Amino acid sequence: MDNTEPNALKMDFLSSDALRTRTSLEKISMIVDKVKDGDIVVIEGGLTPEEEAELIETTMREIDVENFMGIDIYTLEKDKSSFFGLSKKKTIGITIIGPANVMKTVKKRSNFLSMIANLGDSGASLH
Amino acid sequence: MRKLFRRSFFKNIFNKLIGKNKKLKIGLYGHPNSGKTTLANTMTNDWIGKPLGLVSEIPHETRRVYRQEHVQIEYNGTELDFDIVDTPGIATKIDYKNFLEYGLSEEEAKERAKEATKGIIEAIKWLDDVTGVLLVVDATLDPLTQANITIMGNLEARKIPFVIVANKIDLPEASSERIVSVFPQHTVVPVSALHGENTADLYQAMVDKFN
Repeated sequence: MDNTEPNALKMDFLSSDALRTRTSLEKISMIVDKVKDGDIVVIEGGLTPEEEAELIETTMREIDVENFMGIDIYTLEKDKSSFFGLSKKKTIGITIIGPANVMKTVKKRSNFLSMIANLGDSGASLH
Repeated sequence: MRKLFRRSFFKNIFNKLIGKNKKLKIGLYGHPNSGKTTLANTMTNDWIGKPLGLVSEIPHETRRVYRQEHVQIEYNGTELDFDIVDTPGIATKIDYKNFLEYGLSEEEAKERAKEATKGIIEAIKWLDDVTGVLLVVDATLDPLTQANITIMGNLEARKIPFVIVANKIDLPEASSERIVSVFPQHTVVPVSALHGENTADLYQAMVDKFN
């Protein structure tokens, strides 16, 4: 972990505007770099399926069996109306990506996500 | 007699599958230990009388892509030809310590973890090459995982037809209904790859979806 406090949890919230100007490669590199440092990244919106596959592939290349075991990804969806409100489809509201060894317990329902982050001897609860 | 009927049934199905003179590459995708290799073995046993890969209880047993090329069946003088591609399980994380529970030494566990990461990369790359996919889901577990969502998202984006195989229905805790309720817009076929249960329905779904 790169955090200054040994038991601190750093969370980065990125707006969709902040990501729009980045290429897929830049987005994925940034996410993996942050998560490897022990940060949790919260993104407004989601990644495309191709970007998700690329993220998994990049993560696999970066796995170091001693220090970095990979990532966990969770999304919260929201209804989006289209065709003048006649039909609704699900879109991703937020995406949460973090180190697999930190994101320990996640409970997910359609509109609620609860996570316990494991920080060594201490724990942090995020809702 | 039953065996003869079974063989003839499968020949008919694959005549339909390959009938349009296109090269079919059917990829088996899913989580580690969802039963992809068991299903691949059941399929190749049914069609060519031999298994495809090694099955084990340890996750990530399949760490490279196994491909049965040119499965050929002669039927009414016509030679049928298709490939089955058994891919390593896709996951977002690999902890070598999980392998220690299965009696592997620390060194073996670390080596297996490293090989598993390469296998996942290979499986993702194969998404560019398959023409149809069987997404194998363990019916005893929550199907709504990031790996399954990513696989399905990529198949839809690439317009690759797929069938969701709700595997392990022989286990009492299995619930294929849960999988149907989570993915109502997709074709879900409950099977037990281990016991060959309901595989005829799966083959029929493959004909409907991939033909």
